[in-house]
Amino acid sequence: MISSLHRILIIGRNTLTEAVRQKVLSVLLVFALIQISSSIFISQLATPDLDAAGLFAEQIKLVKDAGCGAIGLFGFFIALLSTALLIPQELDKRTIYTILAKPVRRAEFLLGKFLGVVLLLALCVALMSLAFAATLYWQESIGLATVEANYGQVGDWQHNAHAREMHDNDVALIIHQVRDPQLVEAIVLIFAKIIMTAVIALLISTFATSWIFTIITTFLVYLIGHGEGMARTYWLAHGAETTIWQSGLIGLIALLIPDMNSFTIVDEILAGHQVPWHDVLNLLCYANVYVIVLLAVSVVIFDYREL
Amino acid sequence: MNDFPLRLRLRRAALVALLLGLWAPFKVAWEQQISRQQDEIRYHGLVMTRELRDGLGQGLTIGVLSGMRSVVADIIWLNVTTAWENQEWFRMGGLINLCTSLQPRAAVFWDMGGWHLAWNASVAAMHDKDQPNELRRIKASRYWIDQGLDVYKRGIENNPEYWRLWRDTAMLYDQRLKDYPKAAYYYKEASKRPGAPVFLERFPALMYDKYHGNDDQAAYAEWKELWERLTPEEREMKEHWKEKIENNIRELERKLSVPKEKRIFPN
Amino acid sequence: METSAIAAPPLAVETIGLTKRYPLTWKRKVLVALDHLDLQVRQGEVFGLLGPNGSGKSTTLKLLLGLIVPSEGEARVFGLSPDSLEARNRIGFLPENPYFYAFLNGDETLRFYGKLCGLSGAKLEKRIEELIDLVGLQNGRERPLRSYSKGMLQRIGLAQAMIHDPDLLFLDEPTAGVDPLGSVQIRDLILRLKKMGKTVIFSSHLLEQVQEVADRVAIFSLGKKVLEGSLESLLTVNQSTQVLIPTEMTPQQQDKLRQFIAQGGVDEKEIRFTRPHLSLEQLYLRTVQNQPDVAPKEQSRP
Repeated sequence: MISSLHRILIIGRNTLTEAVRQKVLSVLLVFALIQISSSIFISQLATPDLDAAGLFAEQIKLVKDAGCGAIGLFGFFIALLSTALLIPQELDKRTIYTILAKPVRRAEFLLGKFLGVVLLLALCVALMSLAFAATLYWQESIGLATVEANYGQVGDWQHNAHAREMHDNDVALIIHQVRDPQLVEAIVLIFAKIIMTAVIALLISTFATSWIFTIITTFLVYLIGHGEGMARTYWLAHGAETTIWQSGLIGLIALLIPDMNSFTIVDEILAGHQVPWHDVLNLLCYANVYVIVLLAVSVVIFDYREL
Repeated sequence: MNDFPLRLRLRRAALVALLLGLWAPFKVAWEQQISRQQDEIRYHGLVMTRELRDGLGQGLTIGVLSGMRSVVADIIWLNVTTAWENQEWFRMGGLINLCTSLQPRAAVFWDMGGWHLAWNASVAAMHDKDQPNELRRIKASRYWIDQGLDVYKRGIENNPEYWRLWRDTAMLYDQRLKDYPKAAYYYKEASKRPGAPVFLERFPALMYDKYHGNDDQAAYAEWKELWERLTPEEREMKEHWKEKIENNIRELERKLSVPKEKRIFPN
Repeated sequence: METSAIAAPPLAVETIGLTKRYPLTWKRKVLVALDHLDLQVRQGEVFGLLGPNGSGKSTTLKLLLGLIVPSEGEARVFGLSPDSLEARNRIGFLPENPYFYAFLNGDETLRFYGKLCGLSGAKLEKRIEELIDLVGLQNGRERPLRSYSKGMLQRIGLAQAMIHDPDLLFLDEPTAGVDPLGSVQIRDLILRLKKMGKTVIFSSHLLEQVQEVADRVAIFSLGKKVLEGSLESLLTVNQSTQVLIPTEMTPQQQDKLRQFIAQGGVDEKEIRFTRPHLSLEQLYLRTVQNQPDVAPKEQSRP
């Protein structure tokens, strides 16, 4: 068992090394650029005549949405491409032969490759989160500076208790919005969604004949997954009323496609609302189990694949 | 070329069917539970209605469907600011509607949307150079205030715990509509919300102060409540507004002829 | 002459009716890549697989490595199923093309495969040093494999095949693309492995090289094993004897010798005198390595 895990880890690390040496991470530089420039763009959108903290509610929302949206988008594409090419590359270059000639099980090989992708995605998300945190921090300092400037205009405000109170309130408001510990939950949820995408791509690639097919199908499943919730509720409520074909198709979606829309709870967190930690945990457990199930299916399919 | 002995292929298919078949009912049940949970924390699932889809256009609809809802809403929101700068008020109103429909739980859209309508649009209408008739200008101005008020109130429906929406509604009643009792009510509700600044507590009383109307009873009740909220130490401290509380209570007790034993300040 | 020892060494590889079929769905036909192969290779043998491309050699290797599953029949490696971990622990495989990760360098490649075989730590490092020396890759060990020449790739391939000191080695075209010097080194290596008691099964198109090292060979054609046996028995031309005389003979001396032999009842006209020849390889090596006294090649087996 230990040696099995050890082999998975070795293959995983090798896969990560391959991705890094093939300069996958340089894509993140593009990300960083986009992050920074969009942040600058957003900070130009000053809506004056509004008390500073109100102003920054708008800007901070834009920065958070853009930052997390970009992490999700880039993560999605990196997950999609690197996983779709994972097995085809090994088959094309036949490197899989040399590995399977060693005492390595096919399941260990597949899981090892996937582990490598997970490590790569974790690294990418971590780096992107750092860039995001930096732009958030930068926005905070701009916000605080604006508050100081605004109050400074009013004159000697420090000696007015009321003004002092309002100033402290504004400062606290900005800091509270920026340094929201729930953002960590948001990033974790985004990461979970990205891993779901990756495991779907892996599953499809175990039986697909071309990587283009894998990419297109995964993309479709991803999109349909966002409507799965609607399909599911409709099917459970009205399944018996429709024709066999309709019921069958919608039922199939409900039974097989994951509910990708449940991850959009991230929007709530970004809008500043409280999402209980155990709700997040529940969703993460669901994603976890789903990933395990799909990995098991992938292993079965791959075990019986002709090389 | 794929030959795999039939028995093995059948075995593979059977295993896959078994795994997925065992998982399917758990999956559906779990997803239902998660949906319920998320609805409970007032997560409004987006229903893609016809108007919404028409308003969005195809590309943005895909964006929304693939979970980029907030980013799509933000992009549309940027157009709100542009519409404001170009003084295209009706277009601005439509866009605000769209954003708030997309993300009803993004309180900032209601807040700033209401502000754009009730303040920027209405003031612009008041000073509209193309409208010589003053009555018409007032009417137009009032129209935009009502629009803004509606946005604020619907915002409160969707985000009842967001103090700024209550506060901004109160400000509107206070400063534009001069309806002080309503302002006092909204200020009070605002002060109860989490994260509200402490000084909002006093505002209801201040509204009654401004309200030279017939509701001294209500005013007295407000001031009394404020006084009762103070700790004994705080009552000793003679800061400006605490003095104001005391003075107002005294005056109202005199005006209302409150019997001496019931007064807070009998002297 | 085949020698039958009193106790033959145990079987390293055994196939019974091993068959592999590929259905061609478009043409509604079936391609028989391997047709009921019965093969036995004993431990300690050097076995050559010969045959044109597409004759079933690679399919046989893949089946014995557990990479593909037979349609019919059975294959056993050291008595175990080929896809079992124990079997693969005792097998080393050199693929015909460099099926390695181009982004790793020589050291990293050996370390990666060594770890997969369960080696680690100082023991692994020591083994890597041994193998780098053995295959002569000191110069390239720090460079990524994508910068390797074909010859270097073959060397690293051999090294990784032997990283876990396997009992059985499968070598697919081990000297393809290697210069004659390198070929000789590989040939010597195979002979050394044989001395260590290892079993080697290799396929090659370079028939002369097969002849130099193999004990037994099998010739494949169109998925069937057509011929099998020891080289000794297959190649020996019966009913004749060769004699090597280390001096040049004049025609008169030749006639005298011919008459002498004819006295033993051999037809004079059938006796031939020829000049022995160097092989081109020997000439090349002599020239390149300055070895003046390379003996002309004997046409019989040592």
